[in-house]
Amino acid sequence: MGKYIIRRLLHLIPILIGITFLSFAMMRLAGGDAVTYMYENAGVSVSQEIIDQAKAEYGLDKPFLVQYATWFAGMVTGDMGTSYVSHRDVYETFVSKLPATILLTLTSIVLTVLIAVPLGILSAIRQNKWMDYLLRFLSFIGNSMPNFFAALVLIYFLSIKLNLLPVISNENVAQSLVLPTLTLAISMASKYTRQVRATVLEELEKDYVTGARARGVRGRVIIWKSVMKSSMLTIITLLALSIGSLLGGTTIVETIFMWDGVGKMAVDAITMRDYPIIQAYVAWMAVIYVLVNLVTDIIYHYLDPRVRLGGEGA
Amino acid sequence: MKKKNFAAMLSCAVIIGLTGTTAFAEGKTFVYGTTGYSEEMGDAGLNPHDNYSGWSALRYGVGETLFKYNDNMEVEPWLATDYEFADDNTVKITLRDGVRFSSGRTMDAQAVKECLEDLIAVHDRAPSDLKIDSIEADGLILTIHTTEPCPAIINYLGDPYGAIIDMEYGIQGEGGSANVAGTGPYIATEVTPTQINLVKNENYWGGEVKVDNVIVKSFSDAGSLCASLQTGDIQGTYGLQYDNYPLFENNPDYTINSMPTSRCFFGQFNMDSEIMQDMNVRKAIEMGIDKESFCTVLANGRCVPAVGVFPSSFSYGNDAVTAPSYDPEGAKALLEEAGWTDTDGDGYVDKDGQKLTIKWLTYPTRLEQPLLATYAHDTLKQIGIDVDINNTSDHRTYAGDGDFDLYVSSTTTAPTGDPEYFFTSTVVGSKNYGNYQNDEVTALVEELHQTFDKEKRGELAIELQQKILDDCSFFFVAHLNMGIVTKSNVTGMAAHPCDYYEITADLDIQ
Amino acid sequence: MSEEKQVTVRKQKIKKNHIKGKLIFFLILAVLLLLTAIFAQYICPYDPYAQDLMMAQKPPSVAHPLGTDRYGRDMLSRVIIGSTTSIFSTLLLVVIVTVVGTGIGIICAWNHGKVDTVLMRISDLFLAFPGLVFALAVAGVLGGGVHNAIIALAVISWPKFARLARGLTLAQKNAPYMMAAQLSGSSTPKLLVKHILPNIAGPILVTSVLDIGTMMMELAGLSFLGLGVKPPMAEWGSMINEGRSMLQVSPWMVLAPGAAIFVTVMVFNLLGDTLRDYMDPKQRNR
Repeated sequence: MGKYIIRRLLHLIPILIGITFLSFAMMRLAGGDAVTYMYENAGVSVSQEIIDQAKAEYGLDKPFLVQYATWFAGMVTGDMGTSYVSHRDVYETFVSKLPATILLTLTSIVLTVLIAVPLGILSAIRQNKWMDYLLRFLSFIGNSMPNFFAALVLIYFLSIKLNLLPVISNENVAQSLVLPTLTLAISMASKYTRQVRATVLEELEKDYVTGARARGVRGRVIIWKSVMKSSMLTIITLLALSIGSLLGGTTIVETIFMWDGVGKMAVDAITMRDYPIIQAYVAWMAVIYVLVNLVTDIIYHYLDPRVRLGGEGA
Repeated sequence: MKKKNFAAMLSCAVIIGLTGTTAFAEGKTFVYGTTGYSEEMGDAGLNPHDNYSGWSALRYGVGETLFKYNDNMEVEPWLATDYEFADDNTVKITLRDGVRFSSGRTMDAQAVKECLEDLIAVHDRAPSDLKIDSIEADGLILTIHTTEPCPAIINYLGDPYGAIIDMEYGIQGEGGSANVAGTGPYIATEVTPTQINLVKNENYWGGEVKVDNVIVKSFSDAGSLCASLQTGDIQGTYGLQYDNYPLFENNPDYTINSMPTSRCFFGQFNMDSEIMQDMNVRKAIEMGIDKESFCTVLANGRCVPAVGVFPSSFSYGNDAVTAPSYDPEGAKALLEEAGWTDTDGDGYVDKDGQKLTIKWLTYPTRLEQPLLATYAHDTLKQIGIDVDINNTSDHRTYAGDGDFDLYVSSTTTAPTGDPEYFFTSTVVGSKNYGNYQNDEVTALVEELHQTFDKEKRGELAIELQQKILDDCSFFFVAHLNMGIVTKSNVTGMAAHPCDYYEITADLDIQ
Repeated sequence: MSEEKQVTVRKQKIKKNHIKGKLIFFLILAVLLLLTAIFAQYICPYDPYAQDLMMAQKPPSVAHPLGTDRYGRDMLSRVIIGSTTSIFSTLLLVVIVTVVGTGIGIICAWNHGKVDTVLMRISDLFLAFPGLVFALAVAGVLGGGVHNAIIALAVISWPKFARLARGLTLAQKNAPYMMAAQLSGSSTPKLLVKHILPNIAGPILVTSVLDIGTMMMELAGLSFLGLGVKPPMAEWGSMINEGRSMLQVSPWMVLAPGAAIFVTVMVFNLLGDTLRDYMDPKQRNR
């Protein structure tokens, strides 16, 4: 086990270097020039001298690899540079916005679990009854709606037509959370309801369930005691994986609902060509994603030694 | 319910950067939502010597400049009462008596000198605009020596970076949270990159301030700004998208106040492009675009059709010049005259087997620009011109490489009420992407640069505009209206041709 | 005993026929969508690009069943013509990703060794990025345009297929019949085409059909953020984006293209699911 973890950690090193290099290189490939952009966004143009001066100040006149090395050294020591746009420390900005994204991620997952697990089980034990069909139908709908469209539909009906909830986030965090959380949970819950159903069905077909049934244990008890227990492991693993993808998946939803998290920050930064922010975001989200996946893999490995190294991991 | 509690608990533990609304116990409170205040715009914080933050100092009534612009964008005295050019390189400015900073210090020439010296020491644009060599202070008389003749210095002093602050009080906080002591009707009690809380200045030199508390909130999304105005969370807005104007028009609960600004949407033709070298083609394009329809329908009346560089409120504005008007038939005739006819019946004109396709370069940051491009795509098709739209945030690269036939952008053509800026920057300067050359124009721009007499400057501006219009090297589509939408019980909030003044002592709630 | 078995077999047969029926039904729906996309320009009641400012932002009516947009263009025609871009770019993307991914996967499995290690590390690298984030950054860097959006999504999506194909190929490679074929002296390309490909094609096909819906939504997502098609081209994601600011004033501008995406994604999802059930009855009802 220890050996496995060490091996996985060693594998991480080239991946992390690759990630940082890719995200850095990508931004530099961009034709646009951040400094010119910076001035232009403000509306008035300035002379070439001022632009050159600003470029030198940000080190943009140095060779590519030197810029990368400087940046990488900074990343490791927690100094991610200064935003071209706000002139604020990137690390501080990132850290100040990360909690909002984590909060949204967590509420979405909690809501997803609250919806998907009971409905998935219900669907499984009522297999091929009308309830099962209804739930599968609904999950299909949820699965086929792009989240930005779901968000707009929710805004249209809940906020504009019924005037129940604010369109954007305001001081009332709990109230502001509802719509973005709902949007994210709709598609996730649809997906996981189906997966929970499948997992439970699989468990139900196993010998021990048949055995328990034969011994006369009541169906409900079987479900709650045995099936849930063994299904839970798979479900938890699935959820752990979804944390990673959610961290990235919140981007569009954050933008629509003006949720002040790192996803919105990234989209804004992309439109403004604010390199330091985009680089830090892409690199750090990837690092978080990799780490979450690693932990999940280790859990998986621990639970099921049959999973082969290098198999389906992500 | 469980989830809500959970969320509430979490949110307590989490810093989200949402500042709670401070409850004001007494007096009138005005909550103002704007899309014009943010770190992205470079104007967060109130320190006028930092980037564009001076705009915020001026807009929200904290700072004031020595001179201000009236509705015709002419310079008027404000903290100064008078000025006089002693010689080409020296200007003497008389300051207003009895003005105090919110810190309590009296505003005199010494205080202004300290402020301006800090400005040119730390600001990026001010030194090259003002060309200040040295400043002398004597009571209320401020004497500025410039390194070279700078006829527009008085105009430049009205730029928001010229907001006068007390340097003894200094800059409290930094960046988007910087607070300063100005002379305006309001004093900031709290400044963050997303919100400013203001209280009235009891000792304001300009008379009684009517509203006790003002909260300025930043919105990065126009849709949410609109929703907040509808729910009553805010009572006034700046930056409402015109798509949403129909919700407030003809609605007695709201007042819309708008004014054409010098932000102009204009196209520059690429004179190095073979097809654009033909005057008839350029003119046909101009005549093929219906500015009026664009402004009334697509921009919902929030733009006004332009003729020249400056809006009609300027003495040398739209009314002083002429340009080809919308005339699709005339445009077709011009194309035919130039040898462009539709020989293969595909609906587009061609010449020597080549379809007339123009590369239309623009960028999306200003919403109107993609709208105009899409509109032109269809309306120019009517006269047989195919438009290939390149709408990219990387437009500068394409423009710099000359990879376009028509580059449509927008700029504030007269940010300081003086005509020179547009000509030196865009017609002969570094932003002349179309490589337009006309020796007469170059000479006139140089003359404008040297001229001190205001009237003469205006005449030159008219002459210059007419020249570039006659050459069809630039064409001007529309001037953007600055719009302020408020609840109808709010008075004293007016839009201006420059967007520098929003919250003033006149603001009141009935 | 044997009678019971027969009953189950018959039951399975009925099920299989039932699934076959479903499969044909969804296939017909998918083909209908494709036909719409192919013949879009002939089906449109109006020229989807013709503007008529007098008719701007009109609500749904008999003449314009889905209303008109801000330029007075007929929404129905735009939704129909938009299907060409939306559906074909998605299919193109899925085909690229499937072919490239499968190719790489097979190569990896076959040349188990350095090539495999390097390519799998590279795929790890791409799998390490949260999908949309990376696509956004790529599209942001390359600039707008359908091609760039397709490239962006292809870059992040191929590893999934590479992994799948690699795993499947590895399993086949060690199967006894492969040993036999190898011993009988068949050449590598022949082995790959004759034995490996047909045996791994099923699961890969199912995965790629199931991916159509996801890809379509992601592509539309990029368009929605303004990183998709060039104006005035009609594409569902960008149409939703265009209408977004007018959600209150003219909701049909958002709802019409939104419903189009929804229905299309749903049809392809159902098709994929049914196809999986059909190909692999063990996985039924998942």
